[in-house]
Amino acid sequence: MPFFAGEIFVSEVYKKPVLDPTGEEIGKLRDIIVGMGEPFPAVTAIVVTGEHTYVLPWDGINLFNRRVISVTTVAKNLNPSSIASTDILICRDLLDKQIVDINGAKLVRVNDLELSDVKGRLCLVAADIGLRGLLRRLGLEKRGEKLFALFHRNLQHKLIAWHYVQTIEPKLNRLTLTVSRQKVASLHPADLAQIISEVSQKERTAIFGSLDVDTAAEALHELEPQVQADIIDDMSKERASDILERMPPDEAADVLGDLPEKKAQELINLMEKEEAEDVQELLEHEEDSAGGLMTTEYLAFPPDMTVEEAVRELRLEAPNVETIYYLYILDGQEHVLGVISLKNLILASPQTRLEEIMTTPVKTLPLDAERKDVAELISKYNLLAAPVVDENLAMRGIVTVDDVVDFLLPPASRKKRRKL
Amino acid sequence: MTFIERIKNIRHARFIALLSVIGPGFIAGNAGNDAGGIATYSIVGAREGYGLLWALVLITFALAVIQEMSARMGVVTGKGFGDLVREEFGVKVTFAVMALFVFANLTVTIAEFAGIAASMELFGLNKYISVPVSAFVVWLVVVKGNFRQVERFLIAISLVYLTYVFSGFMANPPWPDVARQIVTPHIRLDRDYFLLFITMVGTTITPYMQFYLQSAVVDKGVRIDEYRFAKFDVYAGSFMTVFIAFFIILATGTILHPAGVVVDSAEDAARALEPLAGNFASHLFALGLLNASFLAAFVLPLATAYGLSEAFGWESGINKTFRDAPQFLGFYTAFIVIGAGVILLPGAPLIRIMFLSQTINGILLPIVLIIMLKLVNNAAIMGEYVNSRRMNMITWVTVFILILLTVMLLVTSFIL
Repeated sequence: MPFFAGEIFVSEVYKKPVLDPTGEEIGKLRDIIVGMGEPFPAVTAIVVTGEHTYVLPWDGINLFNRRVISVTTVAKNLNPSSIASTDILICRDLLDKQIVDINGAKLVRVNDLELSDVKGRLCLVAADIGLRGLLRRLGLEKRGEKLFALFHRNLQHKLIAWHYVQTIEPKLNRLTLTVSRQKVASLHPADLAQIISEVSQKERTAIFGSLDVDTAAEALHELEPQVQADIIDDMSKERASDILERMPPDEAADVLGDLPEKKAQELINLMEKEEAEDVQELLEHEEDSAGGLMTTEYLAFPPDMTVEEAVRELRLEAPNVETIYYLYILDGQEHVLGVISLKNLILASPQTRLEEIMTTPVKTLPLDAERKDVAELISKYNLLAAPVVDENLAMRGIVTVDDVVDFLLPPASRKKRRKL
Repeated sequence: MTFIERIKNIRHARFIALLSVIGPGFIAGNAGNDAGGIATYSIVGAREGYGLLWALVLITFALAVIQEMSARMGVVTGKGFGDLVREEFGVKVTFAVMALFVFANLTVTIAEFAGIAASMELFGLNKYISVPVSAFVVWLVVVKGNFRQVERFLIAISLVYLTYVFSGFMANPPWPDVARQIVTPHIRLDRDYFLLFITMVGTTITPYMQFYLQSAVVDKGVRIDEYRFAKFDVYAGSFMTVFIAFFIILATGTILHPAGVVVDSAEDAARALEPLAGNFASHLFALGLLNASFLAAFVLPLATAYGLSEAFGWESGINKTFRDAPQFLGFYTAFIVIGAGVILLPGAPLIRIMFLSQTINGILLPIVLIIMLKLVNNAAIMGEYVNSRRMNMITWVTVFILILLTVMLLVTSFIL
C-alpha cells in the first residue's frame, strides 16, 4: 500500500522526481491517472517521463507526498508503457479546464486540483478555483500568504468539492457542475473534513432511514444545519415531513431554511397544519433575528387563573414546550402582563390568582432584534428565556438561552456540533 | 423556375450567408489602422513619398496569413486565443502573456483616446468634452447593445475609413509613378528608412487584432461549414486595411512630401494639409483619424476583456449583461475609464506611453505568433484543420521575418 500524507495539491507534485528503491531517479511525474469512481475518483496510476514514459500503477508506489515520490520496483526492471485512450489524466484532462455551471454558464477555470485520503485511498476531492491556487501554480503561494498577512487577511482556499462536479469522462472539454452559479458562491467548503464527510452522505442517509421518526428527529437536531438539510433532502418527502413535525419548530425552520425554497415549501405543505403554520411563521423571519431564533411553543396563562389550575394545565402542556421554567401571563390581546417562574408557582398557595404572584414588568424582545441583543438581554438579567413580541406588543414566541449560548461563550469553547 | 433563376437563387443565398458571416475579420483588420497606424502612414508618406509603397504588398500578405490562422482556430475550436493558451500552456505562460497583453492594450487604448482628443481639437472641440462623450458612447454601445448591433455599428464605422480613399484621389497623384513604385521594391540603406519600414509593419500587425478576431469569431458562433465565408471576411479585412493605408500614404506622399513638410503625427499631417490642399482635405483627414481612433477604442477594450475572461474562465460575450458576465464587462469598463481618464489628466506623459506601448507590443508579438503556430499545428486541438505543409512554410517564413523585424525595432528603439 502506498504511503501518502493528508492532502496534496497536484501542482505540488507535478514534475517532481520519482525515485526507485535504490534512490535512482526514474523520471519526473508528468500526470496522474484517476478512475471514474463515484463520488471521488481514486488515483489508479501515475505517469512518469524520463528516458521513456512509464505508467506506474498506484499499488506499486511506495511513498507519495510533496517531497518524495518513490516506487517499489527498481528502475531497470520497468517497462515503458503507453497511456490508454480511456484513461483520465488529471493534468492533461482537468487542470486549467473551463468550469461551467449546470446551465452551461462559464464560471472559472480549474486552477489546481486537490488529492486527499478518502477511506484509505488517494482520491481527487476538490477543484481549486481561487487566487491561492493560481499563486501556487506560479510558485508564489507562500509569498502571497505573507502579502495577505501584511493586510491582516487570510489567503483563503476556494475549493469546489468534487461532489458537485458531474461525472467525468475521457476526452472531456469542460467540467460541468451539478449546481447553478448562484449556488457556487456558497459552495466553498473551508475544511477538508467537511469535503470528506460528504463521502459518507449515502451511508448517513441509510442510517437515518433505519431510525424511528422520533429518534431521527432528535439525532438530526444535533447535526450541523447544512448536513441536516442534506439528509432531509435525500429522504422521501413523507418521511422528511414526519421528522420535521417532531422537531421543535425553530430547529425545523433552520433545517428548512437551508433547503431550496421549492423543496422546503413542499415539505411544509406535507406537515400537519398546526406545526406547518409555526414553521412557516418562523421561516419568514431572518434566521439570526429574535423572530428566527424563537420557538412558538411556550406556556401562557390568563391573569385570573389560580395556581392550582395552572399547575394542572402545566402537566398537560409540559411535554409539548421547550421550556417550562417560565409561565407567561397574557391578556386577551396576547400582551405580556407578567411572568412567573416554575419555582414561584410551586411555592405559591393553590388558591392564589396568578396575577398576584407574577413579576412585572417583563423584558421583551422585538421580532427583529439581532442575536447579539438577544444574548445581551438574556445574560444581563440571567434569564433562561425571553419573550418575543411583535409590533403590537403581542407575544409571538420565546428565545431560550440555548439558542444564544454559542454567542455568549468565547469562540474556543463553543459547543462543537457532532458529526455523524 | 428556369435554370438561370435557380443559379441566381443559389447565388443570392450564398451572398446572404456571406454577409451574415462577415464582420470579425473586417473589424479586426480595420482596427489595425488605429490612431498609431494613421500617424505612421502619414509620416511614411510625408518623409518617403511613395518610397515604401512596395512594402504594403508584403504587409497585406503577412496580415492575411496570420489573421486567417486566428479565425481558423476560433472556428474549429470554438475557443478564444486566451482559452487555448491557458489550456495548452498552463498558468505561467498565460500570466506572462496576459500581463503583457493587458499592459500593451492599456497604453494603446490611451493612444486611441488621445487620437480622439487630437482630431476633435482640429474641429475646435475641447478634449474635456470630446473624450468623456466618446468614452461614454463606446461604453454604452457594447454594454447595452447585442452582438449583432455592435458588429453592424463597427462595420459601419469601418466604412468611414473610405474618406482616406477620397483624400488620396483628391491629392491627384501621378498614377503611373505610383504603380511603378508599388511593384519595384527598392531598399535604401539608411537608418531612418529602415526604422520607418519596421514601424509600419509593427503598427499594422499587432497582437490585439489576433485576440479580437478569434474571440469575435467565437462570440459570433461561426460554424465550420461557414469557414470559407469567414476566410473571405479575413482576407477582405486584411486587404481593406492595407488599401486604406495605401491612400493615406498617397495623400501625404503627394502633397506633403514634395513640399518638404515634416510631420510627427496624424494631426500634424491634417494641419499641414490645410494650406497645401485646402480646408476640406484637412477636415477629411481629421475625420479619418477620429474614426480610426473611435473604432480602435471599441476593439482594444473588447479584445482585452475577451482575452482575460478566456484565460481565467469567466463568462464573456457582448450579448451578456453585467449580471451574467461581471468580469468581462467590468474590464471593458475599466479600460475605457482609464484610457479616457489618462487623456484628461493634465501633463500625462503621452509620448512616453506611446513608446512603451510600441515596445511591449514588440515583445508580445513574437510570443503570440510562436504560440499561435504551435496551437494551429496541434492535431489534438485542430484535428484535420492543422496547417498544411505549404501553409506551414509560408507562415513560418512570415513569422520569422516579423519576429526579426520586431526584434530589430526593439533593439533600435532602445539604442536610438
